[in-house]
Amino acid sequence: MAEAALLALAWGLSACGLAWLALAMESHWQQVRAVDTAPSPRTVRLLRGLGAAALVASLLACLQADHATMAVLVWVMSISGGALLVAFALAWRPRSLAWLAGPLS
Amino acid sequence: MFATFRLSMAWLHTWFGLVLGYLLMVIFFFGSLSVFDREIDRWAIPQTRFAPQPMPSFDTLLAPIFARMVPEAHELEEARARVGGPLPAELPPLNWGAYTTHRDPVLAMYAEYAVTNNPTDPDDHVHGHITIDPRTGQVLPDDQLKIGSDFFYPLHYSLHLGWKDLGYWVVGFAALVMLAALVSGVVIHRRLFREFFTFRPRKHLQRSTLDLHNLTGVVALPFHFFFALTGLTVFASIYLPVSETMLKPQAQAAAMAEAQGMGLDFKPSGVKAPLASVDAMVREAKRRWAARGMPGEVGYLYVNHVGDRNSYVTLYRAGSDRVTLVGQPIHFDGPSGRVVHEAPPPSLIASVNDFLTGLHLQHFEHWLLRWFYVLGGLTGCACIATGFIFFVEKRKRQHARAGSLGARWADAMAVTAVTGMLLATLSMLVANRLLPADLAQRADWEKGVFWGAWLLAWGHAVARSGPVRQARLSPAWREQCWAAAGFALGAVGLNWATTGDHLLKTLGARYWPVAGMDLVLLVVAGLAATAALTLRRRERAAQPQAAPVLPAEAAHG
Repeated sequence: MAEAALLALAWGLSACGLAWLALAMESHWQQVRAVDTAPSPRTVRLLRGLGAAALVASLLACLQADHATMAVLVWVMSISGGALLVAFALAWRPRSLAWLAGPLS
Repeated sequence: MFATFRLSMAWLHTWFGLVLGYLLMVIFFFGSLSVFDREIDRWAIPQTRFAPQPMPSFDTLLAPIFARMVPEAHELEEARARVGGPLPAELPPLNWGAYTTHRDPVLAMYAEYAVTNNPTDPDDHVHGHITIDPRTGQVLPDDQLKIGSDFFYPLHYSLHLGWKDLGYWVVGFAALVMLAALVSGVVIHRRLFREFFTFRPRKHLQRSTLDLHNLTGVVALPFHFFFALTGLTVFASIYLPVSETMLKPQAQAAAMAEAQGMGLDFKPSGVKAPLASVDAMVREAKRRWAARGMPGEVGYLYVNHVGDRNSYVTLYRAGSDRVTLVGQPIHFDGPSGRVVHEAPPPSLIASVNDFLTGLHLQHFEHWLLRWFYVLGGLTGCACIATGFIFFVEKRKRQHARAGSLGARWADAMAVTAVTGMLLATLSMLVANRLLPADLAQRADWEKGVFWGAWLLAWGHAVARSGPVRQARLSPAWREQCWAAAGFALGAVGLNWATTGDHLLKTLGARYWPVAGMDLVLLVVAGLAATAALTLRRRERAAQPQAAPVLPAEAAHG
């Protein structure tokens, strides 16, 4: 059961990490915030940092759950699956990602 | 030939993608189903709906069954033709094998028998194979088709084209083209990073299809790349059979030297000797695996030179916790039962090869990764299907004006390759539940329904593709989506009616092979119905726009 929780955490971290990386892009930022202003350079740096950190944390969670060879495959596929989730969320429910941007501007 | 590198790559991507795309669709779709081949088998053969079993006792259960096994009738027929006369009354067994995985309730058993009177080939042999219930040793009827592992799975790498291994070569070529399509796709993609997450479903069809094509191609790029590549390496010995042709003597010598190095006898001695207790060998092997920090069950049991003084037994560990394929083999001397050789950790190159093979063949026990593989494979299907639709969307107005039939044919073939393939698959499941259990050649009927339904879907797609000539959507897409939704629901209902295993029961018992199949079928039905409704809306919305094209179409007649 602990393994299932770790894997769920890993996938969640991958998806959040990719969502932050998407938010760091002007067009997606505007979609999610429903604004037509660009994020500040400081915000972009922060979002990219958060995104990268979440992806690294996801890899660590995968390595905790499985043998290293398997963990790498799970991690790569969790990024593919996460990217699809983020892309579909942006297409149909962009506001559902707003909480990830919090009070940033 | 082309002004720029990008243009030449675009040409390659478009035309090779279109022609080989139909094949790649089959390979990706049935490859995705193969991830759950054992579970599909359980759904299709209700007598085998019980929990996976470990390798049973060889001494008490398997040995007498192996002794009773006989070669396949059709292989004996072929052997008689090779020899040019009758065969000896009894063909001596050369080797025995038994194979199971952590997902198999049933056990597959194989045997090879020497054809001793072939003057031209002293190594001529025939095979026998059976499937048993390892709890009782009862042999299962061999006319029940394992739809997952014996039909969908081989379909994805051989297309069931047995003649001269043609299917393997066609699939290998398609895999090579897949690699080229991925590279050329990355080259011609103008905004790979800027549009990484971009999908605009509300834009016009051509734009949103291209978005989805790019999205599904790019986000699963590592999956697509590694599966096309490892698909090729798995069959490298077929594509580059140097050890059978140019380097045969060297390869033989290497195999002999390897056997000698391990203390194993490459050839039988000709002197009979009984086999020691294999169960004791299994206990010893498990002890040794545990001592190496990787406790496990026996996945593959192999007895070579059966009944000979030089016989040996090899036990492979079931590779359920590693990506790498079955491994850590331990060889035992047959007559004495002592350990002859325990394979050391493999060399770096062998490890990489085992890893790549294992990555593709996925014997591991990891349900999330299995589902991720299905997701990767279906993403590949979506990428190819959107590629077809984009091809047609980009050209259909121009073709309609010019009176060309190109887009119409491309669209009909796309319908056949996408919804037609889904219909063929679902028809086979429906037929599996509808055909009488005691029907002679039942397996052939099921296969016949599969190919027949696909052919009908093609006929329907062609017959209904007329509107594409007027730059409108073909109604075949919508109609086949409705049919797929109906067949998927029908399969779930028939499983309930014929076996009594409805979803509440299988879910309550947490019997995932059948519950999972039924749930997936319900999801397929839901998605197909949603797609059909969306298509109807789009067809209606497109009606007024298509009207001005009509006179032009009529003029070009």
